Amino acid sequence: MFLRRRMITIYKKELTEVLRDRRTLIAMIVVPIALYPLLMLGSIQAVTTQGASLEVEDFIIGVISERDQRYVGWQIMRDTEFLERQQNGSSEKELKQFPKPLKNWKVSQFLSEKRLRQAIQDRVIQVGVVIEEVAPLDDPSRQSRIVLFSDREEIRSVTAMQRLRSMFVRMEERTRDERLRLKGLPETFVTPFEISSVNLAAPSSVLGQILPLILILMTITGAIYPAIDLTAGERERNTLESLMVTPVPVLDIIVGKFLVVTTVAIMGATLNLGSVTATVWFGGFNEIIADEGGGVPIGKMGVILLCLIPFAVLMSAIMIAVSSYARTFKEAQNYVTPVILAVLIPGGIAALPTTRLEGVMLVVPVGNMVLFAKEMLLGVPIPWWQTATVLLSTTLYASAAVAVAATVFGQESVVFADAASWKSTLSRKFIKPTKRPAVSLALLLVALLFPVWFFVQTAMQPGPDEDAAAVLRGTSTWMPLLFVVLPYLILLYAKVDRKESFQLGSPPLGGMLAALLIGVSSWVIAHEFSVLQSMVIAVPEELKGSNERLVEALRALPIWQVLIVLAVVPAFCEELLFRGFLMSGLKGAAGKWTCIITSALVFGVFHFMFIKLPVTAFLGVVLGYICWQSRSIWPSMLTHFLHNGLLAMIAIHPKLLAVVGVDVEAEATHLPIYIIVVGVMVFALGITIAILLKRSKASALRHGLIPST
Amino acid sequence: MDMVIAENLGKVFPTAEGGEKRAVDGLSFAVGAGQIYGLLGPNGAGKTTTLRMLSGLMAPTFGRASLAGYDVTEEPSQVQRVLGFLTANTGLYQRLTGRELLVYFGELHGMDRSTALARADHLIDWLGMAEFAELRCGTHSTGQKQRVNIARALIADPPILIMDEPTLGLDVLSNRIILEFIRRERDEGKSIILSTHYLDEAESMCDKMGLLHAGRLVAEGDLVSLQKHTGEHHLSDIFLSVIDAEKTTGAFA
Repeated sequence: MFLRRRMITIYKKELTEVLRDRRTLIAMIVVPIALYPLLMLGSIQAVTTQGASLEVEDFIIGVISERDQRYVGWQIMRDTEFLERQQNGSSEKELKQFPKPLKNWKVSQFLSEKRLRQAIQDRVIQVGVVIEEVAPLDDPSRQSRIVLFSDREEIRSVTAMQRLRSMFVRMEERTRDERLRLKGLPETFVTPFEISSVNLAAPSSVLGQILPLILILMTITGAIYPAIDLTAGERERNTLESLMVTPVPVLDIIVGKFLVVTTVAIMGATLNLGSVTATVWFGGFNEIIADEGGGVPIGKMGVILLCLIPFAVLMSAIMIAVSSYARTFKEAQNYVTPVILAVLIPGGIAALPTTRLEGVMLVVPVGNMVLFAKEMLLGVPIPWWQTATVLLSTTLYASAAVAVAATVFGQESVVFADAASWKSTLSRKFIKPTKRPAVSLALLLVALLFPVWFFVQTAMQPGPDEDAAAVLRGTSTWMPLLFVVLPYLILLYAKVDRKESFQLGSPPLGGMLAALLIGVSSWVIAHEFSVLQSMVIAVPEELKGSNERLVEALRALPIWQVLIVLAVVPAFCEELLFRGFLMSGLKGAAGKWTCIITSALVFGVFHFMFIKLPVTAFLGVVLGYICWQSRSIWPSMLTHFLHNGLLAMIAIHPKLLAVVGVDVEAEATHLPIYIIVVGVMVFALGITIAILLKRSKASALRHGLIPST
Repeated sequence: MDMVIAENLGKVFPTAEGGEKRAVDGLSFAVGAGQIYGLLGPNGAGKTTTLRMLSGLMAPTFGRASLAGYDVTEEPSQVQRVLGFLTANTGLYQRLTGRELLVYFGELHGMDRSTALARADHLIDWLGMAEFAELRCGTHSTGQKQRVNIARALIADPPILIMDEPTLGLDVLSNRIILEFIRRERDEGKSIILSTHYLDEAESMCDKMGLLHAGRLVAEGDLVSLQKHTGEHHLSDIFLSVIDAEKTTGAFA
C-alpha cells in the first residue's frame, strides 16, 4: 500500500496514544514480562516436582496370603540389593536415570481378593498382587504367574503399579539369565532379533507443532485491544465525527490505524516470545522440555519473528474490520470472540501433525500461515512458489479486510449510531447508485473468490487417466459463473453502473490496433520469458506431464472447441473480472500504476501455476495497461484472446511454426532470432500506440480519472 | 457571495418498523460571508442532520448543498477543506495534550508541522488556553474541553464555520470567551452557522435566523423581520407562534 503523508500523521498520533494507555502497556509489557515467566515457572515446577515425588514415594502393596506377603517382601529385598549393586560407582546424573528401589514399601495382607480390590478402589492401598504360581528356577518348562491390580483413574495407583511391574520384569530378566546360564546357552537364544528405530525429527519438533498456534494467540492478544480502541473506541468517545470531517479519505485513516494495530501486535508478540524464550533459557527449563523431545529452538527465533509479521498483518486487518462494525467497546468485544474461535479452527487444523502445506491448505486463511510457520520450524524445505502463494494470498485477504474496514468505518449508520440502522446500509432502497464498485467490494469479492476458485481448480485437476478435455469444459462453465455472473449480480444489487465498472464503453480505434499488434506478438515475449526463467528455476516434472496430457486431449477436439475453452472464455471472463471489476474498484483508492500492478498480481495469483506467476503477472500488467489507456475492456480482451489462442494453436499444431523453421517441440529453447526481433518490434509498436493514446482532458474528466479542480 | 447554499435539501431515514422518516424535508437557505446564521429548533427538528449533510458527513437523500462553491456530495474533501465543524458533544483524545491535538488536526488538514505549531500557538493564546494546553485532554474541565474543540475546528483557518451547540453546559466565563470569539471570527469575514438551544444567545449573536420544525424551515429572517412577521417580541414567543401557525404541537426544549 502506498503510504501517504496523512497516513503517517495518523500512524504517529495513534501510536503515541496507544503507548500512553496504561491498559495497553499492561497487556503488552507487564503481562508477558512478569506473568508468563511466573506462570511457566509455576506450572513446570508443579508438574516436575509432582512427577518426581511419585517416583520416590512409598506405596502400599496388598496381598491375600501370608505366602505372597513373604514372597513379595523377599523379592523387594533382592531387587533393592540388585539395584544398589548396579548403581555403585554411577555419577549423580546417571543415578537420576535409575529406577528407585521399593525398599520402604509396605506389604499388607487382605482376607480375600474381593477385599483387596475394594481397598484399591477406596484408595487405601495403591496396588495389589496375587501370585498364582511360582515356577522353580531349574524347570524351564514352567512359568511363574503374577497378577497385578491397580486403578487406572488414580495417578498414584498407576505409578505404583508401573514401578512394581518393572520390579517383576527385572526379576524375570534375572531368572531368564540364570536359566540360560544353567543350560549353557547364550542370551541370543531367547532374543534372536534386535529391532531398533532411529528418530530423525529435529529436537525442536514438539515445540514446532504447537508454537505456531501459540503465536496466533499471542498476536491476537496483542491486536484485540488497540483494534477495538482505535475503531469502536473512537466512536464511543465521540471523537469520530471530528475525524471524519477532516479532508482525509477514510481509507487513509483506516490504513494508518491498521498499521498501528499491526505494530502493537508485533511488539506484543515479540515481547511475549522473548519473555518465554528467556524464561525457558535462563530458568534452566530447556533441559526439562528437551527430555520430552525438544527444547526451545533458540536458533529459530529469527524465523519465528519473521513469520509473525504476516500473522500480525492478517490478524490486525481482521480485528480492525470486525471492530469497525461496532459502536461501543462492549459490542466490539462480542464480535471479536466468535472471530477468534473461527480463526482458531483453521489454525488448529493446520497445527495437527498430519496436515501438510499442500493443496487447498495453501490458500486457507490463517491455516496456511500456521502451516508455513510450522514447516519452517520443522525444517521442511518450502519451495519458493509455496512461499509466494502463502504470502500473496495472505496479503490479498488482509487488504480485503482493511478495505472492508474502511467502508464500514465510514458508513453513515456506523458513524452516527443515533441516526440510522444497518437497514439503511443493506436495504437496496437506500443504496445510492454509483459509477464504480467500492474498493472494499472489489477486493472482498476477489478475496472470497480466490479460495473458491482454487477449490474448483483443485477439484477438477485431471488424474493420470481422466479426460483432460472434460476438465477444461468444467472450467469454462464455472469461470463465467464466478467471474462474470456473480460480480454482475452484485453490481446490480448495489446499484453500481455495470457499463462503467466493466469498462464496456466503445474503444478508440488506436486502442484496438495496439491490442491487435500486442496480441499477435506477445506469445513471443512470453515464450522467451519462460525460457529465460527455466534457466533459473527448473520446471517440475509433474507439471510437464500434466501439460502433455492436456495437449493430447486438445488434439482430439475440434479446433473451435479448443479456441472457446482456451481463448474465448478466459479472455472474456478474466478481462471482465480483473481489468473490469477489480481495476475499476481499485481506481477509487489508487493511482494508475498501483491499479495496474495490483490487478496484475491478483490475476497472476489466480492462475495457481506458480511457476508461471512472473509471466502471468507480466501479461497482467500489459493487459491492464492496454485497458487503462483505451478506457475500454474490448482491446485487452482482444489481446488476451489472441495471446491464448495463438499459444494453444502452436501447442497442438507445432507444424504451423515449422513453416517458419521453428521447432517448438523442444520446449525450453529460444525461438530463432528473426522471430524474436520481429515479435519484439511488433510488440513495441503496439505498446507505443497504447502510450500515444492521449486522452483529451474532457474525456478524462468524464471518466473521473482526474479531479475536476 | 453566498458561502453556504442549501437547496431543497432532504434526508430520509428508515425507521425500525420498516417505514421512513423525513428527518430533513426540503430545506433551502443561504449564508453570506461575514454572517452568522442561526439554525434554531427543538430537539429532533433536524438541525444536527442538516449540519451533517452540509459537512459532507451524511449524504442527502434529495436536494443539494454547496460550501464555497463545492457540492457536498460531489466533492466532500474540498468541502472539508473550507469547513471548520464543531459537532455537538464532541469528545477529545484523552491521551493527547491540547497542543498535540491541535497540531494533529492541523496536519490532517494538510498543514506542515511548523505551520500547524504556529497556528496552534496563536489559537492557544487567542482562546486563553495557555494554562492547560500542555495537559492531557482527559484532565480538562468542560469549558477547557470546549475551547480546545473550537480551536480544533479553527486550526486550518477555514472560511466557513459550523457550530453545533458551542456553549452547551458551559459556565458564564467560558461562555463569554467563546461567544466573543465567534463574533470576532464573523467580523473577519467568516460565514458561520450556529445551532443552539439558547434563544437569548441566538438573539444577540445571529444576523439571520432559520426556525426549524419537523425537518422544515417554518420561518426565516433577522430578528426585526421575525418580530414584525409574528407581532411577538421575544424569540421564544416568535417561535411558539410560528409553530402554532403550522398547527403542529411539539415541546420546545
